[in-house]
Amino acid sequence: MFSAQAAPAAQALLTPPSAEASTFARVLVSGYADQSQPFLLGERSFSRQYAHIYAARLVEMRPVLEERAREKWGTDVVVRKLCELRVGEKCCVVGTLFKAMQLQPSILQEISEEHNLVPQPPLPKYIHPSDELILEDELQRIKLEGAIEVQRLVTGTVFAVYGSEQDDGKFLVEDHCFANLPRPLPWKGPTSDRFVLLASGLGLGSGSGESLLSTQLLVDVVTGQLGAEGEQSCAAQIARVILAGNLLSENTQSRDTINKAKYLTKKTQAASVEAVKMLDEILLQLCTSVPVDVMPGEFDPTNYTLPQQPLHRCMLPLSSVYSTLRLVTNPYQADVDGVRFLGTSGQNVSDIFKYSSMDDYLEILEWTLLAGHISPTAPDTLGCYPFYKSDPFILTTCPHVYFCGNAPRFQSKLLKGEAGQRVLLVTVPAFSTTQTACLVNLRDLSCQPISFSGFGAEDDD
Amino acid sequence: MEDELYLENIDEFVTDQNRIVTYKWLSYTLGVHVNQAKQMLYDYVERKRKENSGAQLHVTYLVAGNLIQNGHVCHKVAVVREDQLEAMKSKLATIASVHVYSIQKALLKDSGPLYNTDYDIVKTNLHNCSKFSAIQCAAAVPRTPAEVSEPQTSVQAGSQTPSDTNAARVPVVNGHGPSTSKQTSQQPRGIMGMFAAKAASKPQDTNKETKAEAKEAPGVSAVSSKPPAKANIMNNFFGKAAMNKLKATSVPEQPKEKKEVVKPSVPVAEPESSPNTVVEKPGKKTESSRIQQKDKKSKMKRVDKSDNEEEREPENLKKKRKRIKQLVSDSSEEEDVPPSPTPEEEKAPSPPPVPALKTELEPASTEVSAGGRKRKRKRVLKSKMFIDEEEGCMVTEKVYESESCTDSEDDFAKAKPPPAHKQPAPPVKKEPKEERKNLKKGAATANRANKQVSIMGFFQKK
Repeated sequence: MFSAQAAPAAQALLTPPSAEASTFARVLVSGYADQSQPFLLGERSFSRQYAHIYAARLVEMRPVLEERAREKWGTDVVVRKLCELRVGEKCCVVGTLFKAMQLQPSILQEISEEHNLVPQPPLPKYIHPSDELILEDELQRIKLEGAIEVQRLVTGTVFAVYGSEQDDGKFLVEDHCFANLPRPLPWKGPTSDRFVLLASGLGLGSGSGESLLSTQLLVDVVTGQLGAEGEQSCAAQIARVILAGNLLSENTQSRDTINKAKYLTKKTQAASVEAVKMLDEILLQLCTSVPVDVMPGEFDPTNYTLPQQPLHRCMLPLSSVYSTLRLVTNPYQADVDGVRFLGTSGQNVSDIFKYSSMDDYLEILEWTLLAGHISPTAPDTLGCYPFYKSDPFILTTCPHVYFCGNAPRFQSKLLKGEAGQRVLLVTVPAFSTTQTACLVNLRDLSCQPISFSGFGAEDDD
Repeated sequence: MEDELYLENIDEFVTDQNRIVTYKWLSYTLGVHVNQAKQMLYDYVERKRKENSGAQLHVTYLVAGNLIQNGHVCHKVAVVREDQLEAMKSKLATIASVHVYSIQKALLKDSGPLYNTDYDIVKTNLHNCSKFSAIQCAAAVPRTPAEVSEPQTSVQAGSQTPSDTNAARVPVVNGHGPSTSKQTSQQPRGIMGMFAAKAASKPQDTNKETKAEAKEAPGVSAVSSKPPAKANIMNNFFGKAAMNKLKATSVPEQPKEKKEVVKPSVPVAEPESSPNTVVEKPGKKTESSRIQQKDKKSKMKRVDKSDNEEEREPENLKKKRKRIKQLVSDSSEEEDVPPSPTPEEEKAPSPPPVPALKTELEPASTEVSAGGRKRKRKRVLKSKMFIDEEEGCMVTEKVYESESCTDSEDDFAKAKPPPAHKQPAPPVKKEPKEERKNLKKGAATANRANKQVSIMGFFQKK
């Protein structure tokens, strides 16, 4: 994409200075609309229980699932609630999945004195062969067995199973189905090349300077300082930059100060202060040239529960003056030039990774799309705000670009749905480790990684 | 003609100043478009090499292009040294751009210095970082201050209230006698200012305790608060010789107002947050001139400072005035009312409970009092405890206070071991014990000192 257009004039700058240098105007995004209102929390009250969110989830997804079930198993399939089950009758049940996991960290176990347990160290995956699946609906629950992949599924998924109840009270599953891709949005994308740069995991404040030059190169490419004229003109077509979380590095968390005595930590400044200043400078350079959307991530100074609220503008005094800077929520949804973007900073995907046998971030991303829910494991294993009226993480419309940040590597896939949906799935890699960002072309929903590097003493490239 | 100028400039930068000249640095320095800067660098390299093939020039290039990696096409942007240029070019399937990135005299082992150069120049030009860029964005206009300030007012109001409350608290504190007012802000100590005037921005707190005729207030000061003292009055009383300096920690203290000859008994038992305890300050208007310091001073520094202070003792008045002015805008030495500390001193944020005194290990010098009696002022390590509202915790600090005692008290005072460490005060748990110890000692000292004052004490002592 980039290179093809730029190639002809690649070496043009290896010449004596010309009289005038061309300047390109940044392509203007005509249609930008922020659609993440459901994720913006106003007054927050934590005095509710989490049962409401599950109830809302089930209520909202039940009709969709029943329709899918009829599509899959025939219109005459019997849809029953658990309390209406009859032994031996083949029917379809819609409910929320609960996976009973032996290794799942439980706060009750940790604080229980009689067990005398030390807290379990964090594991990469908490799956265990002895895990069991239980289907719950509004009133009852039933254990599932049969043709169902126990390891793959995670708690909180709402789906439909087809099978029959056995004598021993368990439900023998013959088939199951998910909500599948939601209804598609009409396509109003641009006709000419427009790019959106997706980057995540800048990891500022980590104390190691390896990726600093790469970050600077990224900023320079986007702002049009780097590269020959062809490349600069391509860069001028970058309409927007979305930074998907983890702008600060994990090292800025300074969790140990919580355990230290107050007198020892009184004078120390949080590591995140310096990192946020650096972030402010980088954002300033970007904002003077391109609209930027900043999403908070796991290590950023905002709330922990999903949906993460936007970073506060007082932390970014230099750059928040510019109207091109937009501080947005963690699951972020927006229409950029008629293309619907939806994405998170990666917490949902990495949480499913921990509790499921799926290993590939792209696979998990696709699975969440098919399951119709951005983050089914919230609130069970992932912190979530206790919603009670509705669950904003349910996918009601199919986005055109669905991304997750802080993935271990770059992957992308164009998914085509039966109802004409076209979704570009992108796993945005963590920049601090891979020095790679993604360029999405809005015209044809293609994606290209762009990577940066300096040179080091041991480089033999 | 003009063309040659840039060549000379670059020549100067590279060879004479031995700089790393990146295209960005050159662009900002000469005020030219980035592309022109890149071309200038290229031109310079070419010419220099033509003239003098052995020229000591190392060049780094920026190469960008498509790379086939893992089956998909990846756009790669890399900064490479000249010797790696061809290798990188051959790796790329299509080359999108090549240009000079930087020129420097020395061979760079890694790209760190390049980053630093760029970082510095961008930092100095943050307000117009896109001025010479090849892309101009029409939408990037700063919001008007009116728009910006709207949501910001709430933030500012929030930040102002703490400082306001601090200010409000100060007068309250000031108005207190030895009592339980919690002090959360620090106040400059007047007497310290006089003798140990620290012209530095973070003046060390030195506290001096003035000894009343015979009462030793200090004895009473088992309290954590530092006793403020009015320097000139003290001076009048004892003369410079008699003053001991105390180094106080930065813990905020309440200023005390006049202290009459304080009965030692009074605040002895006020170890908790009674900043004003210093009731011990006998009869003086004590201005708290203690400034909260951010305790970055090292031990050595403190020792030096204390030495300086002692030297400066003679010319304190002036210093004290200066210092007070610094800290407290409207206080004068004559004033009876303790000055209200300026907001900076209020030290909202973290009053570091670092005992500065740790550095003083030897007892304060003893000087003969004006009264001719054998009275010694010693610097004694005392624990002062107060409640720090800001952090919601109790802070105990060990401070050196002047204490009046007789010869026999010398050993006594010496025996109080000040722990010498730079860290903040030792755990609070330890404090009460020491405090009690100090209390007892203080009381004992005070008693003895008291006795000394009257003529009968002369006989009783035996």
